[in-house]
This record gives sequence, structure tokens and C-alpha cells, in this order.
Amino acid sequence: MVLDTFLITGLFNVVMLIGLALLLHLQLGLTRIANFGVVGFWGVGLYTFGVLYVRVDWPFEDPIQFVVCAVLATAAAGLCGLLIGWLIADLDVDGVLVGTLGFATAVAILATTEQGLTGGARGMGGLRFPYDSGDVAVNELIWLLVLVALVAGILAYVWLVHRAPYGRLLIAIGSNEPLARSLGKPVTRTKLGLFTITSALMGLLGVMYGVMVRFLEVSSLGIEVTLATVVGLVVGGSVRVLGAVVGVLLTVGFFDIVIQSYLPLPAEWYTQTIPLMREVLFGVALILVLVFRPLGLLGHMRRDRLMKRIHGG
Amino acid sequence: MVAESGTAVRADLPHRTMPRARLTVTDVSKSFSGRTVVDVDSLTLGDHPIEGLIGPNGAGKTTLMRLIMGSLKVDSGKIRLEREGRREIELSRLPAHKIAQSGVVKSNQVITDFEGLTILDSLLLSVTPARREHPLHLAGERATYDEHRAAIERQLDDFGLEDSRRVALSAGEKKLVDIIRCLLLRPAVLLLDEPTAGLPGEVTRKVMDAVEKLAADGTTVVIIEHDLAVIWRLCAQVTFMAEGRVLLRGEPSDIREHKTVVESYLGQGHV
Amino acid sequence: MHRAGLDRMSGRATDQAVVEPDAPTSVEKSQKRSIRRAGTPMVIAAVILAAVWLTGNLSAIVPSVVIGLTEHAPLVLAATGFALLYRLTGLINVAYAETITLGAYFAMHLNTNYGLGFYVVLIPAGVLAGLLSVATYLLIFRPAKLRGVGTLELIIISFGLSIALRYGLQFIFGTPVRFFDVPPPDSVNIFGVGVASFRLVALLSVVILAVGLYLFIQRSRYGLMVRALAGDEALAQVSGIRPFAVTVLIWFLAGLAGGMAGAFYGVGSSVSPLLGERAFLFILLVVLVGGIWGINGVMAVGVGTGIALAFMTLTLGKVLYAELALTAAFLVVLKVRGRRLTESTKV
Repeated sequence: MVLDTFLITGLFNVVMLIGLALLLHLQLGLTRIANFGVVGFWGVGLYTFGVLYVRVDWPFEDPIQFVVCAVLATAAAGLCGLLIGWLIADLDVDGVLVGTLGFATAVAILATTEQGLTGGARGMGGLRFPYDSGDVAVNELIWLLVLVALVAGILAYVWLVHRAPYGRLLIAIGSNEPLARSLGKPVTRTKLGLFTITSALMGLLGVMYGVMVRFLEVSSLGIEVTLATVVGLVVGGSVRVLGAVVGVLLTVGFFDIVIQSYLPLPAEWYTQTIPLMREVLFGVALILVLVFRPLGLLGHMRRDRLMKRIHGG
Repeated sequence: MVAESGTAVRADLPHRTMPRARLTVTDVSKSFSGRTVVDVDSLTLGDHPIEGLIGPNGAGKTTLMRLIMGSLKVDSGKIRLEREGRREIELSRLPAHKIAQSGVVKSNQVITDFEGLTILDSLLLSVTPARREHPLHLAGERATYDEHRAAIERQLDDFGLEDSRRVALSAGEKKLVDIIRCLLLRPAVLLLDEPTAGLPGEVTRKVMDAVEKLAADGTTVVIIEHDLAVIWRLCAQVTFMAEGRVLLRGEPSDIREHKTVVESYLGQGHV
Repeated sequence: MHRAGLDRMSGRATDQAVVEPDAPTSVEKSQKRSIRRAGTPMVIAAVILAAVWLTGNLSAIVPSVVIGLTEHAPLVLAATGFALLYRLTGLINVAYAETITLGAYFAMHLNTNYGLGFYVVLIPAGVLAGLLSVATYLLIFRPAKLRGVGTLELIIISFGLSIALRYGLQFIFGTPVRFFDVPPPDSVNIFGVGVASFRLVALLSVVILAVGLYLFIQRSRYGLMVRALAGDEALAQVSGIRPFAVTVLIWFLAGLAGGMAGAFYGVGSSVSPLLGERAFLFILLVVLVGGIWGINGVMAVGVGTGIALAFMTLTLGKVLYAELALTAAFLVVLKVRGRRLTESTKV
């Protein structure tokens, strides 16, 4: 088997964004919390992990060092989720937009200013895989498989949530908060819990990314991650379990795998033209899908079918 | 009876002698942009199984109900809930969902529904206990339905809602689902804001039968209704509100004696 | 004359509606609100002054006020335009950032390619940005609204538009920054602070434009229509106001203000595809927080933000720290404000 680094990197991006889009599906698709700062939570995981892993002198060796740093970074992202969730829990969609966008900006600012810790604009190296097979390509492949397992876990969780009372509660809150409250549902607590858990997992995906690229760059904290996540989810279908998967494959998958690896395009296009085209088309896709098919390719939630499947009738 | 667990069924208990939950409203006022909408010195609801709340548009009836439910906060004053054998609860200090959990439930005047959820979803939502709605408790769906299946199916049959595995379509269906949600909670206090508006006559009768049965089983029911015939027939106690205040209070016959007051607000032919 | 009509109409509308008439018309409401809370921006100003006093950095006050007023004047203008759109159409238009950017590009293009002076190109650049703004309304937001797209979806649409325009600009102009072709500014000394003369003119222009916009909204007949429309579209329609024309006007004015703010931003430093995006977060914060007190509040909070940014930049030594601190402060204000929002439920 030929291990094409481009292909592995492309696949890694696609799978990671599927993970992020699945988490955003729980936030935005079901609970209608418009998180425009996905990159912030992902970035907190990425940078917390990087700083802890590189700057701290740990008394233990790698598999454990990785696990400890990853757990702490995930917890840090979760804490940020709790804090931001608390800030925006009873705000309307405008407040949620500004809160999450502001948070993502704050993360990017801190990563830039705290040069002593993060390397600032110069970036920071020193990350590595928590194992070594002797071959970088094999290491990357293994890491890709770890990520696939993680995202498969997230997918399974989302699938189960749709079939559990918890999922129904999330949909109810997203659809009509005051009504859910009047039925005795602890709306604020539920939203906080959801936002904390999903933000933590976004942070964990950031950790995975950090290990894969092994070099932290402030430029990765721009709008691109949020954009790709939102586009993937919206194009596929924000209220369906598989919407995130289908949408990310069609959008990010098309650009990062089909175009990057399989189209015979001039080399210089890949550095300038393609990345810009990608973002422009993503923006246009958002507009077109939301105007003409607001629920994305997969469409309605179809609770009717689900209820029949679970309870018969 | 208990909203949190949603399991108890008390149809077998002796009726009428059962002590009811009482709502006490003391010195409650609420204003919007400087205009006082509710200003109630003292009002106790729950000495009778079904109480009526009547008055012209803008009398503050709906606002009072929303203050009780906590979807609006009082500017000043207290609203308390007394239940036999339990400590008195000051509702006006609780968040809305805690008020609902303490057994006070309202059916809404404005048609509200959960978009995307089926009728069955909606009903299951109201009976599912909190522990089953935990993010890590993902296996409780079947069990919840099995436990409440009988009650849910009976209500659906009673009200002629045939296929519950679909989204409620008409405004009437949504209203009916809203009422069934309330009935399934077996609340201590049930507030009904124009429960039958928009429902066909036959369904109205069924709703009223169900409400009477619930009241007979020990629930305190408070109804806002423009159709005064319904009020005179069902209610043992009627409160007449106008301009945010309680003007009259008493048995239907007492209220009807104050013909001039009532007619000055509601027009002729109502008394 | 419209006023009386509106009141009569609103009285009837509430009688017909089944809901409690606990909501006065929104024109009335916003007027009352602005009267009742007019003092609050003063409180904010006092808090800022107190912070200055507490940090003991008195020497930084005067420069902060001068720099804050002159350098951040475009923020006030941009925020006023954005607030107009937000309060009157209810839409958070993320692509407003690119209206600003495009205003800067239009101005720079006219300036560098045709050798026109900055003040000559200012109005045409604003008009072009205004037309662009109207075009986005006609081509995207209006069709979306007619198709019944929800508020959240409209925000995501504007986000998509913002991205497409931003990267489209990068595609056309590349990422490197560009500059206006203007003579090197002569510096004027104000209270010991050197200020480029064009910044003073910028400040003056912003004041004139903002006051003009304010008067237009608050005093003119069209302004009344605009405010009536914001309150209730159906109601405005039966009162003889044409929602379509007025909405187009709102989009144009917002674009005009944004475009001119962009030109000021651009001539003050440089022009790049990210110009608008950099300014956007603060515009959004200023509008959401200041909007609590109406359009006056937006202007007051905008000015306060400029001064606070200048002050914190001087004392903390880094612009980014100042932005960070202010963002956090604004989010806390929004959190406190949010508690009031929950009252608007109908259950």
C-alpha cells in the first residue's frame, strides 16, 4: 500500500471536520445554539495541549504524557464551553453570535500575544506522536485510524442521542424554550451541559489535530475551521444524524481529497487559487443551500419514521 | 400527581374530600413600560375544584397566569403554593421550570408546539423524568413509553387523535396536544387559558369532561374563558378582573348579581 | 399625521388580537425607553473615568480622549449604519464587514486610478457601497425572507456572503495591503498630542454624517416611516407606508455609512480584504450593547469604546490586550442584559 501523505492529511482533515460538524449538529441542528466560534473551542484544545506538552517538564514518558496533556486540554476546552455557555445561555441568537465570535477572536488574540508560551506568530514545534513506528507515514496512518475511531464514537453517540429522551429534550429546547420550561425541563442546565460536553470534544479534536501537524500556527485559528464545519453541516443537513457526514464529504472531501490528490492541476494553483476558491465556493454554498433548501440535502428530521421504528404503529 | 416522576396515578383515591393545592397571590404587581397591567392585593385560588377568571381584554388575566408560571417575573409581591403535607413554596422566587416541577402547569392561549417533534414525542417529553434525560442515559426511550403507554393511548383515544407518530398539523390538533401534555402531568394546579378556543364543539366537550375529571381527582383548576356559559356551568368560584385588579369575587350567582359591573365591561347578554 | 394614524391603528390591532395588549407600539416603546435610560451612557462614561482614576494613570486621559475620538471615529459611523439595519430590519448582517471593506476599495480605486482627492471620492465610494448593500438585499436577503427563512438561517446566509466576498476580494486583489495615494498628512497639535489633520476632518465628517443620520431617522417624515416599519411591517403597510421602498432605503443608508467608514479606515492605515472583518466584532459589540439605549446609545457607546481602546492601548501597551479586555467587558454587559430578554416569552 502506498502511503500518500497528502491523501492521509486530506482524509485526516475530512474526518476531523466530520467530528466537529457532528458536535455542531448537536449544538446548532438540535438545540439551535448558533456557535460561530467552533474554532475557538478547537483551538483551546489544540493550544492547551501544545503548551502543556512542550513547555511543561513532565515526570513521565510519552503515552502517559500524551494522555495527561490531552485530558487536561479537553477539560480546558470544556471549561471554556461552560463559561461561554453560561454567558450566552439566555441570550437570543444575536448575543450567541457575538459571544461565540468574540470568544474565538479572544483565543486567536491570546495565542498571538502570549509568545512565551505559544510561540506567537512564529509558531511552535516540538509536538510528536505518542508512539513511533520508525516511519512518519505509518505514524500518520495510525493517527488517522485513532481519529477515525474517535469520530466513529461521536457518530455513534449522536445516533443514540436521536433515539433517547435526551435527544428529544434537546430538540424541544431548540424548538421552543419557554414551552420546554413550562413542562418543568431545566433548559439552562441542559444547554450548559450540552455546550460543555460538545466544546470539550471539539477541544479533543483540536488535540488530535495538533499531534497530526506537530506544529502550532496562529493562522490555523482563523475562520476556516468554523467555516468548513458550518458548511459541511448545513449542506448535508443540520437536523439529520448523517447530515454532517454527507455534507463534509461533499464539500471538504471534494476540495481536500478529490482536488488535492486526484485532479491534474498546475502545481502553483494549489498554493493560491484553490484555497481561495474553496472558501468563496463554501460561502456561496451556504447562501444557496439556506435560500433554496434550508434543511440541506438530507432534509427534514423525520421523527415520524423514527417514532414508528422505535415504538411501532 | 408528581410532575418530576410522572408515575403516580390517583384515579383510585377517594374524590372530593381530598385537600387541594392553593395558590395565594399577595400584593403582586407587574407593569410594562410604566403601565400597570396586574395589581392584585390578595387572591386565593384553590378553595374550590374549578375556579374561573373572567374580565375584559387587557384585564391582566393572562399576565397573572404568566406571573404564576414564572414566564414573567413579578415586579413586587409574592405568589405561594400550598399543598397538603408539603412545605409551602414561594413560586415567585423560583425559575419557571421549578414552578412546573412543583406541580403547577398551564395550557397556553397562544398555540405553541415543538416544531419537528411528533405528537407522541410531545407527550413523551412531558412524562419523561429528568434522570432519563441525562446526556449519558441513552437507553431510556422504550422504558419511558412502556411505563406511560396506557395513559398516553387512553388520552389519544379519548380525544380522537389517531396517528400519534406524526407531527400535529392543524391549530386545533396542536391545542389538543398542549392540553393532553398538561393532563398527563397530573398537576396539582392546572391553569387553562382559553382552553377551548379554536376547538370544534365536540372536542370542547371532551376537554371539559377531562378537566372536570381531573378536578374531581384533586387537581385545582383555574380557567380563563370568554365563553361565560362555560364558566357559569363549571366554576364554583369566579374572580372578575378589570384593569389589572380583582373587582369581584364569589360564586357565579354572586357575580351575576353585579349585572351592571359585569355588563359595563363585557357588554350585554353575558349575565 | 402618521403618528395619529399609527396610534389609532395600533389600538384597533390590539383589540382584535387575542393576546393581552401589554405591548405598546414599538415606536412608543423605543421613545419611552430612550427617555428613561438616557442617563445610562453617562453612567458608562463615569465608569470609564473611574477606571482611569483608579489605575492612577491620569496622564493618559487626555491623549486617550484625543486618540480615541480621532482614530476610532470610523467605528462610530460604521456602528451607526449597522445599528440602523439591525434595529430596523432585525437582521444581524455579518456581510456588513465586507460593505466596509468594499467602501475602502472603492475609495482607493477612485483615488489611485483617477487621481481624485480623498474627500472627492468619499461620497461616491459611500454611494457605491450603499448600492452594493441594496444589491445584496435584493438578490439574497429579500428572496430568502420571502421564502420564509428564519432569523438564525439569515445570519448564516450573511456569514456565507461575508466569506464569499472576503475571499473573492483576496482572489482579485491578493492579500498584500494597499494604500491610498494621499499627500503625507501634516500633524496638528491638540493638547500635546500630535494628530494627523485628515483625522480631524474624518472626525468632523463622522460627526456630521452621524448627526445627519440621526436627524433623518428621528425627525424626518421618512425617518418616521422607517421607525414605524421597524415596529410592525403589516401595521406600517396599512398606514400607507411602502415597506419595500423604505427597506431599500434602510439598506442603502447602512451601506453608505459602512462604505464611508471603510474609506476612513483605509486612509487612516491601509486597505486589505480583512479590513472590515477586523472592525466587525467591535461594531457588533457596540451595537448590541449600545442598542439597549437606542441609536443615541450606539453612538455614545461607540465613542466610549474608542476612548477606552485608546486608553487601554496606552496603559496596557498592546492593542490586542485592550481589545481582549473590552470584548470580555462587553460580553458581561450582554449577559446582564440577557436576563431581561427572557421576559418576552408568550407562554
